[in-house]
Amino acid sequence: MDNIKHYILFPSYNTGLALEGFLKKEKIKYTIVPTPRELSTCCGISIQYNKADEERISEIVKVNSIDIIGFYSLQKEYKDLYLGQNKE
Amino acid sequence: MADYRELWTSLNMDLEKHDQLCEVLPELYGGVYLTQENRPEGMNYFNFVVSEVHGLRIAELDKHRKEGGKVLGTFCVFVPDEVILAANAISVGLCGGSQFWVPDGEKVLPRNMCPLIKAAVGAKISGTCPYFQSCDMLVGETTCDGKKKAWEILNEYVPVHVMDLPQMKRTKDYAMWMDEIKIFIEKVEELTGNKITVDNLKKAIEVCNAKRRALKRLYNFRKITPSPISGLDALLISQISFYDDPVRFTEKVNELCDELEERAKEMKAEGKKRIMITGTPMALPNWKLHHIIENLPAEVVVEETCTGTRYFENEVDAEGETIEALIKNMADRYLNINCACFTPNDGRVEDVLRYAEEYKVDGVIYYNLSFCHTYSVEYKKVEEALKKAGIPIMNIETDYSTEDSGQIKTRVEAFLEMI
Repeated sequence: MDNIKHYILFPSYNTGLALEGFLKKEKIKYTIVPTPRELSTCCGISIQYNKADEERISEIVKVNSIDIIGFYSLQKEYKDLYLGQNKE
Repeated sequence: MADYRELWTSLNMDLEKHDQLCEVLPELYGGVYLTQENRPEGMNYFNFVVSEVHGLRIAELDKHRKEGGKVLGTFCVFVPDEVILAANAISVGLCGGSQFWVPDGEKVLPRNMCPLIKAAVGAKISGTCPYFQSCDMLVGETTCDGKKKAWEILNEYVPVHVMDLPQMKRTKDYAMWMDEIKIFIEKVEELTGNKITVDNLKKAIEVCNAKRRALKRLYNFRKITPSPISGLDALLISQISFYDDPVRFTEKVNELCDELEERAKEMKAEGKKRIMITGTPMALPNWKLHHIIENLPAEVVVEETCTGTRYFENEVDAEGETIEALIKNMADRYLNINCACFTPNDGRVEDVLRYAEEYKVDGVIYYNLSFCHTYSVEYKKVEEALKKAGIPIMNIETDYSTEDSGQIKTRVEAFLEMI
């Protein structure tokens, strides 16, 4: 299955930023993104990550007791709302 | 997930309608921004700000107001933020950049009016913009007839103070603008209950200058070929600069610039055409033209607009021992902005020619929001000067709708092939 994207959702932006600090320190690639509507109707941040790093991130979350809602995977293509094409 | 619904309810927002807006944003942002390749890591902060655009910053404004502080909404780069900050108030830019608000604006405004005004008014009357809802006062100005008359309508919803901006730059116009700044100071003091002193005004000038310096530093990286940051990302940062906390924003832009310094050493030119945009502002979330251009083999390297160079060029001199001296310094800096509302406005043509050289542009795209007459008329002067200098230029007049995106793409494609 292509176009699977991986996200971590948080109860508040604070815990998201806390995890970001650790990811930065550990040099793990991540992107802060608006939470996809498919995963939650509340606005706010999520962290998109590479599947290969999931175990390491999971460990960081556990060791540092970071409060997260969970890890989610989603088949997702971004729509180009201006030009009407879909993109990965 | 943080739930801001209680906060939005307390701001008298139309939650149901606002939810439609919330639904579009992640998709729009994803399609335009997150599909860009190899973005600087420092853009994560700006991703964060966009993701929390109606959340965290609104909560900060709410906290400020609960502690007795005031929030002022502005619409123009001529309104001196220094005065607002000096009175311990917060300034937020309110220009609307989304088609979402246009139909509501058209309920009270004529349709043949610029989309920026229609969207701003629509955002207020539909109760779907938490920034508008957080404002204790709006600060209007007289940069165009449309805005001038729209203040009267907005004043029915929230108090509006209008600054009378002169339309010429003679000595008496400087005197008039200094007087306007003085009246504005009195108004802000009255609203906030805080006295503006030489000391707090100087501190505010420093904060605003530091922000200008950071934006200037960012833009300087775009003079490099290839630019280590996309035009889209630079535009987003400019847009965010109007409502983010100025000290935090400055710090984050400088962090990003440190990263760009390293990136610039490693990037290799891909032969993309270097484009300057000149013309009317692009308010959040208007990313249409940059998105179209940068999906072609081209990069936008500078915007001679109010959401570009006009916002950060030149600093306010912080030297002076009286309020009057500082007011003069502010007037000097602000009246140095070259907006098409002035006659004559030769300074703008000079700016465009200078930037064309500094940013090594291959071509200029004149961006005109529909029905913005001053910029539309001024095209002729800019076109003549650029043609004389041998720099290709094209004119695009458009609004916030997406119907003409394909057509604009075709025209830009042809322009890029020509240059």
